[in-house]
Amino acid sequence: MNAQPSNRSAFLDRVADSLGRPRRTDGVQRPAWKHNVHLEQLADRTPEQLVEILKEQCFFIHTQVIESTPDLLQRTLDDLIAGYGGGPVIRSGDPRFMRYGLSFLGDSVWSAQAGRAENIRLAEAANIALVFADYALAESGTVVLESRPDQGRALHFLPSHYIAVIEWERIVPRSTQAMAEMNRRHEAGGSLGSCINLISGPSNSADIEMQLVVGVHGPLRATYVLI
Amino acid sequence: MSLKTDNRAFGARTADGIGDAFMRGAVGSAQDSLKTRRLTAATALGDWEAWRELGQQIRQHTLANLDYYLEQMADNVERRGGHVFFARTKEEASGYILGVVKSKQARKIVKSKSMVTEEIEMNRVLLEAGCEVIESDLGEYILQEDDWDPPSHIVAPALHKNREQIRDVFAAKLNYEGDETPEHLARFARTVLREKFLEAEIGITGCNFAVANLGAINLVTNEGNGDLTAALPPTHIAVMGMERIVPTLEEMEVLDNLLCRSAVGQKLTSYITVMGPREEGDTDGPEEFHLVIVDNGRSDILASEFHEALQCIRCGACLNVCPVYRHIGGHAYGSIYPGPIGAVITPLLGGYDDYKELPYASSLCGACTDVCPVKIPLHQQLVLHRQNIVSQGRTGSVDRIQMKAVGKVLSSPALFAGTLRLANPMSTLLSKHGRIVRGPAPLSGWIGSRDLPQPVKKRDGFRDWYPHREGGGHS
Repeated sequence: MNAQPSNRSAFLDRVADSLGRPRRTDGVQRPAWKHNVHLEQLADRTPEQLVEILKEQCFFIHTQVIESTPDLLQRTLDDLIAGYGGGPVIRSGDPRFMRYGLSFLGDSVWSAQAGRAENIRLAEAANIALVFADYALAESGTVVLESRPDQGRALHFLPSHYIAVIEWERIVPRSTQAMAEMNRRHEAGGSLGSCINLISGPSNSADIEMQLVVGVHGPLRATYVLI
Repeated sequence: MSLKTDNRAFGARTADGIGDAFMRGAVGSAQDSLKTRRLTAATALGDWEAWRELGQQIRQHTLANLDYYLEQMADNVERRGGHVFFARTKEEASGYILGVVKSKQARKIVKSKSMVTEEIEMNRVLLEAGCEVIESDLGEYILQEDDWDPPSHIVAPALHKNREQIRDVFAAKLNYEGDETPEHLARFARTVLREKFLEAEIGITGCNFAVANLGAINLVTNEGNGDLTAALPPTHIAVMGMERIVPTLEEMEVLDNLLCRSAVGQKLTSYITVMGPREEGDTDGPEEFHLVIVDNGRSDILASEFHEALQCIRCGACLNVCPVYRHIGGHAYGSIYPGPIGAVITPLLGGYDDYKELPYASSLCGACTDVCPVKIPLHQQLVLHRQNIVSQGRTGSVDRIQMKAVGKVLSSPALFAGTLRLANPMSTLLSKHGRIVRGPAPLSGWIGSRDLPQPVKKRDGFRDWYPHREGGGHS
């Protein structure tokens, strides 16, 4: 649908005019940036230190962190689900659920077969969303997830509670490393999900008298499980 | 709502602000808490100055190549199956959006917070066409339910309201029966708005940054409403000011870090999302994606001496340190963009005819410039505005006569010495205990809020004292 013609050329000509030069259509390179502070920040920390930084930051973003192991993961998650008041649970179709031998009674799975409406209906009805992080950012207490056919965009926002499993080796110092890696993948022609979510704890707002309310439109509470 | 939020004169608007004790208390404590949080978050990064320089360099590089990056963005969005519309004016922008809405025969629209949609008067256009437009950001939703009360802060739009007022608005408009606890009010809004998200036919969001090499937009939020707005309705329209663009995820990452820390003192907000048109095989996300890129006066700014103002990433840090904003509040600016950055860009977008007072709503202390994460020389731009306003003869006739008189006196040593001699006797009648206590404008304006010492007698003046002081008068 394009009822009205896009007046792209005239618009961009005018921008170039404002810059006092002819249109630039190629040959623009990013300059060498003056500083590497973003690359250096926390870059020298050991994995153990990063875990500590992540745990400390999660305290500030109202997110529970539970340390578990691949062997104990099923039990940890079962306990967490019970603690959040039980199902319904909706999880992504991430192959790691199978790899770790996880199964949950009566859960639903976000899937390509279910189709848009059904996936959204199940997520809206769910008490708990369960996902695996693609990356975790120590500094900001963030999990990074790409959308895929078996992991939709709304999965992270509709259920009341959010549980993300983080494998140790997925922890990087900060957003710099995750975004740089994804950009490299994109520029090399690799596939990148149509939506990238950086999620740092539960939803919140300070719109009423600057008082923090945890739990607004997205999940009310969040837990990360480290393995 | 348009750029303009109040048709009254500047004096009436500021008098309202200064007279509103609750608002001033709320703004003061919000400033204090946001300032402290920003400082803590900035300090934690170590070399904050280097971060600012990096942010400035990224913004300047992108703006210097804006035509290139916008074209790259548009190509990538279209390659991914999205639609791009370039809007020269606000009418073109809101007209295009209305066209999309009509083509979908949609009536139910949900949107997340976006300043540029206010600027293009999108809500008015859609409401007049009979659509239901729901603001889903909690603060904006409160304002909407209170008969579209204007926002007073870029980041915390309902800052000027207290919890009791909000409870009363919800009770009157939505039959809310609970108490004024913020958590209860927020949960109530969650329940009401969840329905709206699920039934909306179109979702409209702003755009913190467009990521040119991806053809995706970046939203930075805390509540989760922006993501629901973009993910659930079958059609998503994103509206961006043309300057809000970065080359890649790498620069976006730096600017998001600067934005989150500067705006609210968070390392990253709860939800930072990079979203583009859905890919083959995606199970949700919008079936149709439109990106509206808005000029509406920005190319004129780009060509002007004010081009650095386009570096702005809308964090609101300059509002949080401004002593003038603290006292007059956001509404007094009469613009959707208040505070120091508002005083710079509002006259550029809306013209001096309506906004020539705003550059004077500053003490020029420079706190805004110091705090700006992308190093916009805000207070220097306010001085530039003042120079333009004076050179275009836009100051009042009283001002002009006064300045002429001052100019005459200062350029003649004899007149200057004579004036000094007469200043004390002439001000005696206006003074009490060595302070001037009454007088015509501009004296009255000054002494209304500050002390003005009476000029000293000639023999006590510096020029008479200096040559006779101990040690002689050699300079």
